[in-house]
Amino acid sequence: MPTTKKIKVTSADILANAHKALQPWTLSETTPEENRLDITVDASNIKNCVQALMDVKWGYLSAITALDRAEFETAEGTTERTPVKGKGNLEILYHFCSGPVVTTLRVALDYQKAEIDTICDIIPSATLYEREAAELLGIDFKGTPNTEHLLLPDDWPTGVYPLRKTFTGLSKKQKLGNKEK
Amino acid sequence: MENTKAPEKFIVAIGPQHPALKEPGHFEFTVDGEIVTNATARLGFVHRGMEKGTEDRNYVQDLYLMERVCGICSHVHAMAFALGVEKLAGVQAPPRAQAIRELIGELERIHSHLLWLGVAAHEGGFDTLFMYTWRDRETVMELLEILTGNRVNYSANVIGGVKIDVNKDQKDALKYGMDFLEERTKHYMKVVTEDETFLGRTRNIGLMTKEQAELLGAVGPTARASGVERDVRVDSPYAGYDMFPVKLVTEPAGDLEARFVVRINELYESYRLVRKIVSKLPDGELTVKVPRRIPEGETISRVEAPRGELFYFMRSNGTDKPDRIKVRTPSLCNWASVLTLAVGHKLADMPMILAGIDPCFSCNDRMVTINRGNDTQVWSWEDLRKYGIAYYK
Repeated sequence: MPTTKKIKVTSADILANAHKALQPWTLSETTPEENRLDITVDASNIKNCVQALMDVKWGYLSAITALDRAEFETAEGTTERTPVKGKGNLEILYHFCSGPVVTTLRVALDYQKAEIDTICDIIPSATLYEREAAELLGIDFKGTPNTEHLLLPDDWPTGVYPLRKTFTGLSKKQKLGNKEK
Repeated sequence: MENTKAPEKFIVAIGPQHPALKEPGHFEFTVDGEIVTNATARLGFVHRGMEKGTEDRNYVQDLYLMERVCGICSHVHAMAFALGVEKLAGVQAPPRAQAIRELIGELERIHSHLLWLGVAAHEGGFDTLFMYTWRDRETVMELLEILTGNRVNYSANVIGGVKIDVNKDQKDALKYGMDFLEERTKHYMKVVTEDETFLGRTRNIGLMTKEQAELLGAVGPTARASGVERDVRVDSPYAGYDMFPVKLVTEPAGDLEARFVVRINELYESYRLVRKIVSKLPDGELTVKVPRRIPEGETISRVEAPRGELFYFMRSNGTDKPDRIKVRTPSLCNWASVLTLAVGHKLADMPMILAGIDPCFSCNDRMVTINRGNDTQVWSWEDLRKYGIAYYK
């Protein structure tokens, strides 16, 4: 077996490699903290970006975070914050880790058209993360191999996404476990 | 009329309910004869909506909530959360607090690895080893109780530090306990690497190559047993791990035996760390003041739980409540990899392969259904376990 020579890579190198691999699709780039790189990309390019990272063997997919970036208004005289209907957007973050560095691909998605390509054909283990984001925030992963419920009950009403800010609980009509029909 | 097409594949469904256990999960293995051809999971039977729950509670309340994500590795959750909030607030806990966080983290790893060793031995039909490891695990459970007052949910963290200190008596108890456990662990190492019957269930079983582990994003001892150098404690030291660094433990083989060896070697490393922290604990304060309202921002907090990398994404909105807390536990990563890995293996090896990743364990002890056309057989996990043991007799 050939012995591989160990070369010490610094976190600056790892950051630079991620920057280089994702360059063609980068819309904007920030480094919010030490050893972090946040790259905003368009939803249509997500597969290219993930493939580019995998091609250069840059780390591994650590997590997919889906966010509801709703806009809030505060009612006068109170501190109660309520989300404004239809304003704001969803955001999906693909976190890749390599050594101390975390690169995050950020994709903004409209509430009306929360669609993005699956990355399961590149990273098969992403299916669990995609199913989670799909059912908790209503993101539609086009071509994902399994769309069954992962976390929510089987009789959970369709089109209700609990991690959206507008969700405050199920109505009486939607109550779960109601077997009488 | 019926059975015009003879079913060629069975679906073996595991889960979700079992009266004796608290953590349900449902797994379906499609088998062709003895060989698994597909595996899927259905989780969420104990989904408690904690991520949503954090948005309605303030940071202090959330600390206690997050500590209850897991009953085995509760401290790492609280630590990841506290470290994240501290980063957002721009403060740093004092060195003594960071060292105590590491100390409890390592004690927790010892208890978790010993627990795993016992359960994995049980799945392989080696109940004597199971009883010995669980007896010895009591040593570390008692140490944790002496230190924190609790056997689980130690509640050692506060935002900005820790709330417990270590006195001289406790230090002596820790040293004594580590000496005892180290002797016992030598014995366990001998058993898992030399016992013929045990090796029959572990050597060259459940192979995961380095490339697979890297692509599938396996973490923790599961990845390190495939030779992947991946350990947050080493890659990106947090809490006290820059003061008291840990040596990376890897094994190249990638089979079940390697997963045993990696975890046992990590036990030695944890004993060494506990002794070192106890003898060189820095002096000083235990907490710093943290504002109640956390400035707007986003952060990622990664720590190494006993099962691998625990990932927290946190977003604050300038109030005293977080905007979003995302938790990705290591078991989820490893599930994802084991479901892919299961394909091509024997059904009889499933208990041990699942055991090998150390999922939050009770997830596995479930009812098993075998679907064979119109004829449905229901197996318990115990039946599957016995089937595995009998297969190798």
